[in-house]
Amino acid sequence: MKLTDGNPKVGLLGGLSIGYQERLAQVSDQGDIELGSGTHYLLARNGRGKTTLLRTLAGVLKPLDGGFSCEGRCQLLSEDMTFDRELPARVILKCLLKKADCKQAIELAHNLELNLVKPYGKLSTGNKRKVALLVAEFSVQEGRSDILLLDEPFTGLDAFAREIFQDLWSKRQDGVLRLVSCHPDFDSMEMESSVLISDGQIVHLSGENAPKQWGDLKIQLN
Amino acid sequence: MQLYRLTLATMLQRKVWIIAFLCALIMPIVLPYLTPHESNPNLVAPARAQAAWICLWVVSIAWVFFQAARFGDDTARSGLGAYFLSTGVSRVSQMMQIWLACLTFLLPLVCITVAVCLVGAMPGDSAQAKMWIATNMQYAALFLLVIMPLMMVATSVGSRFGSTIGYLIPLCMSVYGMYGVGYLSMMTTVQDNVFLDWLYVVSPHYHLADLTPRLVFRHGSMVGSEFLQLVAYFVGIKIVLSMLSTMCFQAKPVT
Repeated sequence: MKLTDGNPKVGLLGGLSIGYQERLAQVSDQGDIELGSGTHYLLARNGRGKTTLLRTLAGVLKPLDGGFSCEGRCQLLSEDMTFDRELPARVILKCLLKKADCKQAIELAHNLELNLVKPYGKLSTGNKRKVALLVAEFSVQEGRSDILLLDEPFTGLDAFAREIFQDLWSKRQDGVLRLVSCHPDFDSMEMESSVLISDGQIVHLSGENAPKQWGDLKIQLN
Repeated sequence: MQLYRLTLATMLQRKVWIIAFLCALIMPIVLPYLTPHESNPNLVAPARAQAAWICLWVVSIAWVFFQAARFGDDTARSGLGAYFLSTGVSRVSQMMQIWLACLTFLLPLVCITVAVCLVGAMPGDSAQAKMWIATNMQYAALFLLVIMPLMMVATSVGSRFGSTIGYLIPLCMSVYGMYGVGYLSMMTTVQDNVFLDWLYVVSPHYHLADLTPRLVFRHGSMVGSEFLQLVAYFVGIKIVLSMLSTMCFQAKPVT
């Protein structure tokens, strides 16, 4: 992981192969994939290697073969990340965020109708995800290259909360690279840039000719 | 130091620390009155010192070790370890932050114990009082040298094998080092067995850090050289255990 100022980059080099004991997916030898700042959706069917790819990019898991580069400070928000069940969300935010960021996170938490005093263990699945997402989003620092690797962040989130986060991503001009794995639930969901894992191949779709809506993208998945 | 703050906040939130602190504070006041103090009022002061230090050992072994093991386990299993790893917080740094958070609770407990001994059991004679202070300080230093690395063992073993094993291993080590080695010593004197002799040599002699008899029977503090020898011995054990803990700690579950 290399730290650069304000311009995060993720590069998946041709031949990168991911998996545990067996290979789950790989980048074609013919072309590297380069992702810059902005939101990129990571799409694949279950068990195809979305989480594995995110863990590999975060440096938590070694690739089976090939290489990759992450220029920026990574944050991996895995789907199963939890906090101590007795801690209220407010305490979690205070412990993990700087004072000014924490204040902003608490304001957004109110908009998201997240109960900040209820113990974490008593929150619903969606509200637990909100806590983790708030931590990740407000850990981002201006002028620093930040890479957020978000593993199914919308699981359990209602449409209202999801829209708030998607609005936040589009409004914040923070130069953050977000790689978001998800299973969208409506066909018209817009995706400017998407990374697909299909038939064991990792491909990047972007540019004018690439499909931009989940409805068009999902038919390419296998 | 985010993990340190989070661990500290979790310990505060669980509130069991109140019981630990009350034990360290109230037991040395109450327990000495179980002695036949009416017939011999001089028994109260040494009994208080004994109760204070025994309470500290029990609280550390029963509560602090368990907390350390549980936090090691939780960090690895909850995905937090992987999260911090991805942000650049190394495995070793994570272990140290958890360990430091546990130490933050242990240090005030040691201070309370020393304060109880100095305030509630200080001898009247000025020469004895000086000796009393020195013995308590030596005891506190040796106690920390024994408990601190075992806390690290609890955290690291907990992260790899779960909180139960993470708790039991330092518990068994401390009990063995405090009492088991004494039995082993007796066995080596009656049996001529090379294996037992070696076992005795490589065993952690934690009983050497227990200065309670010195306080109870007013033997006075250790001479400088003797104390430094013990410090060097426990620092050696600390280095070995710290190295093993560093190798053992894992921030993410085995995949």
